[in-house]
Amino acid sequence: MKIVIVGNSVAAINAIEAIREKDKISSVAVVSDENYRAYSHPLLPNLVIGEVSRSEDRFYYRRSDFYQKNKVNAILGKRVVKINPKSKTIELDNTEKVEYDKLLLACGGKPAKPPIDGLELEGVHTLTNIKGADKLRKDLKNINHCVVVGAGLIGSKVAEKLAKKKVKVTLVELARRVLFPVLDDKGADFIHKELKRLGVNLILNDSVKALDGSNRVEQVVLNSGKRIKADGVVVAVGVSPNIDLAKDAGLKVDKGVVVNDYMQTSDESIYAAGDVAQAYDVVYGSKRPIPILPLAARQGRTSALNMLGMDVKYKGGFPMNSITIGKTSFISMGIVDSDELEILSFERDGEYRKFLIDEDNRLKGMILVNNVEKAGMFNWMIQNKFDVSWIKDAFLNSDFGWKYFNKAFRVLRLDRKIK
Amino acid sequence: MKWMKNLKSYVPPSFVVERDDYRCIRCKACVEQCSFDATFYDDEEDRVWTWNANCVGCNRCAAICPTDAITVKRAEPSYRYNHNWNGHVDSLKKRAIYGGTPVVSMGNDKPYPIYWDNMLLNASQVTNPSIDPLREPMELKTFLGRKPDSIHVDDSGLKTRLTPQLELDIPIMFAAMSYGALSYNVIESLGRAAKEMGTYYNSGEGGLNKDHYKFKGNIIVQVASGRFGVHKDYLDVGSAIEIKIGQGAKPGIGGHLPGEKVSETISETRMMPKGSDAISPAPHHDVYSIEDLRQLIYALKESTEYKKPVAVKIACVHNVAAIASGIARAGADIIVLDGFKGGTGASPQVIRDNIGLPLEVSLAVVDERLRQEGIRQYVSLVASGGIRNSMDVVKAIALGADAVYIGTAALIAIGCTMCQQCHTGKCAWGISTQDPHLSKRVNPDMASKRLINLLEVWALEIKETMGAMGINSIESLKGNRLNLRGVGLNDKELEILGILPAGE
Amino acid sequence: MKIVKIREDNCIFCHLCEVACIVEHSQSKDIIKAFKREEKPIARCSVEFNYPVSLSVMCRHCDDAPCVEACQNGSMHRDDRGYVVVDADTCVGCWMCIMACPYGVIKRDTRRESWGLSTKCDFCPDREIPACVEACPNEALTLEEI
Repeated sequence: MKIVIVGNSVAAINAIEAIREKDKISSVAVVSDENYRAYSHPLLPNLVIGEVSRSEDRFYYRRSDFYQKNKVNAILGKRVVKINPKSKTIELDNTEKVEYDKLLLACGGKPAKPPIDGLELEGVHTLTNIKGADKLRKDLKNINHCVVVGAGLIGSKVAEKLAKKKVKVTLVELARRVLFPVLDDKGADFIHKELKRLGVNLILNDSVKALDGSNRVEQVVLNSGKRIKADGVVVAVGVSPNIDLAKDAGLKVDKGVVVNDYMQTSDESIYAAGDVAQAYDVVYGSKRPIPILPLAARQGRTSALNMLGMDVKYKGGFPMNSITIGKTSFISMGIVDSDELEILSFERDGEYRKFLIDEDNRLKGMILVNNVEKAGMFNWMIQNKFDVSWIKDAFLNSDFGWKYFNKAFRVLRLDRKIK
Repeated sequence: MKWMKNLKSYVPPSFVVERDDYRCIRCKACVEQCSFDATFYDDEEDRVWTWNANCVGCNRCAAICPTDAITVKRAEPSYRYNHNWNGHVDSLKKRAIYGGTPVVSMGNDKPYPIYWDNMLLNASQVTNPSIDPLREPMELKTFLGRKPDSIHVDDSGLKTRLTPQLELDIPIMFAAMSYGALSYNVIESLGRAAKEMGTYYNSGEGGLNKDHYKFKGNIIVQVASGRFGVHKDYLDVGSAIEIKIGQGAKPGIGGHLPGEKVSETISETRMMPKGSDAISPAPHHDVYSIEDLRQLIYALKESTEYKKPVAVKIACVHNVAAIASGIARAGADIIVLDGFKGGTGASPQVIRDNIGLPLEVSLAVVDERLRQEGIRQYVSLVASGGIRNSMDVVKAIALGADAVYIGTAALIAIGCTMCQQCHTGKCAWGISTQDPHLSKRVNPDMASKRLINLLEVWALEIKETMGAMGINSIESLKGNRLNLRGVGLNDKELEILGILPAGE
Repeated sequence: MKIVKIREDNCIFCHLCEVACIVEHSQSKDIIKAFKREEKPIARCSVEFNYPVSLSVMCRHCDDAPCVEACQNGSMHRDDRGYVVVDADTCVGCWMCIMACPYGVIKRDTRRESWGLSTKCDFCPDREIPACVEACPNEALTLEEI
């Protein structure tokens, strides 16, 4: 069997590993427009300021012998321009055609383009791939004052890193708090404080209207009318699923590529996984793209096993994030703010815990700030729709752990009798 | 400071805990293990401290310390030496300070003579051959119960109807220690070991937890003055029934299990309200004479259809021989003699230390008296109270016992260090406690293995000694006082023990 | 595959599993030096106590380990023996594994200057029997096939 994977990141790599666990014979090809082996996207801000370099193993998702060891034909630096579901081929940008029996779309997301004038100016950067990071890194010597547009995961992280490099940083966010979808107001306050401590100038409830400058950006104009002098801009307003290829091929698409419970698209030979796919969210109970790394990995594995003809259902996922800004770490999952859910929260001594529980006593989301080590236990409860009525009283204890569980349940779980 | 010494209640500590500060890694294992609040950790100072006054010398901390940084030492108060008052000053002070008589546990710890250590065993040389137990069969099997005066056999086999007997693969049983005094896990361990070794453990007076009915066939059930937990199923589970009249550690007084120890399961087992004191009266209120005892014995025999031997346990007291004779005539199948060194979970100190007789002497006089009266075959004798090693067992059997009970020895095997704090319920070794956290310290898997090891080793030692004496069956050793010689004993003691002096 | 079976009925809350773990993962492997001379490593098992419950919990080495799935750069991986271990040289301390671990048994080591380090049970690669199992005085941790 000929398996072709479009994209070369988390979903693709996990798909390859899953395939090779079960099938050593089929040919596997990976096509990507980036001419690098799979790397760690969350480390791009670190790459910018030189905390990590491209020669280090820690920057990469797998070690350098990965493709060779897994007998993968890595077609790197070539873009896929078209998928022909009828003839079961894909066309590359050098007009080459590659045949497939099963195709996995794992082409991720593309940066969203905000309605800002002057994005073409010199000194304006994005940070979604190595190329962007390299460009910013080389430009760093010309930047004394940088405006970061969007305080999402990448925006906040790059603001922190640039501030660490003694660059004057202004972080502009449209919403009333940073990291809007993954934190609530109280939790975000921890990050606000930390960013301010690091010297980041924080502007909330405002957005960038235009970038001014003759050749290079010189000034940033905000919607409020405020003007900020800047010689560098990082646009980090998020990504959206990269659905163009699928759309052109006539596959069913919505916000992302629509897949069934087996990660199969509307064409039975084509599967999708990762940021591009629109898969099941167990918290919301509906299908939507969730662009996070662990789910890309899980979907990559699931789709690969299904491509091999096994019958493996995708168990679903939900948003979850782990971020450290300066000395503050937090982990949040699922729904982080709601008026309808029961909320348990606790804040003391630099620690914040918040849990959201629905009327059926299912945990729907949580935030842990600074005391995060037991976060995964809540992850399990959300994923498995665990009845928390008898344990939720202990959630707010800083020392939450196995000791609070019912003995019989605890023993079964720790003996790995309940997964 | 968590504590401050106060002259008002000051009694010098009995122990001093020395900690090698260089070796102490502040792992706090000792802090968690000390159940008497003698050890604690001070965050600010980053030091582990001891309040010596609380230390009971159980050595749990020293045992658990992974760097061997702790030494527990006995502290002798440096009062001016006074032979007469030595050891009595603090004891008196405690009574004066607290206005109560001290309760203690374990057996009599005063330096009374230990006759076991004044008796030596014989061995074969030239004129009669010794036996190698590794090559020759060696019989330790023992039957406890009334034996017939004579037996009739014809071609079809044994014609005499035998009374019920307890069959022991090894003449050592676990003495009566109740569930309540001991933790669940200890009872579990004793039961498992008894089953494995083909012997019996005694439920004590606390009834029997339903979980432990699985040891049926290896249990002797006790009926004591409180009658706690006695019902039909209980009697049915027992292989024999023991009526407890007295206990070596506290002859003449009853028992008292404090309410704190009466937990949910204990209350269920004992059939009494949770949290209330379990008080066993000093006498059985239906036994005021040998005739009354006979009634009780036969009531129990009747209710178990004469299928189980009935034992009567008494503490060794001055007229023990006459009392034993009466018990034998009252219809008991087994008499248990409990010497004054026998242990207890709680006893007033004055009683434990001043009442009773040595087991060795009692055993000798009872055996002798029953022989003289021609009724020795009516009963089996079980020696109990202060059996410390396999040679004590051999000597007891040579003095006339059929089997022995071990209590303290069994507890030592599973960790006990004889700190004498059983009555506090805070046993740091998890043995005499009902605290569900402390009792986890006895792991039944490990403890039962240790008990089995102990019995196996003792059995081997007994066989070796019997072999040396040229005896291949424990039956031939029973009452065989010729194999004993006394050393350092006066004529009267030798006469009472019924043994010859060394050299004669 | 053998893992450490947790027998909480026997756990006496002595912390010696943690002590043994720290010693095993120290430079000197000498108990006194490890605690007094070295920067103390973090114990990979943790003893929890909630009277009368006490138990030591450490990595269960899941078959489909979510921490491996969540690791952003392959530092969390399965070694030749099949146990889930962290590559300390590449770990960047993003705590994604902590977020994923359904048992809550991964700890944060933030003492390195550059990167944080996820710290978890590595099943003692230099030993036949893990240090915690050997050290447990009451057989509350045993090595068993699961």
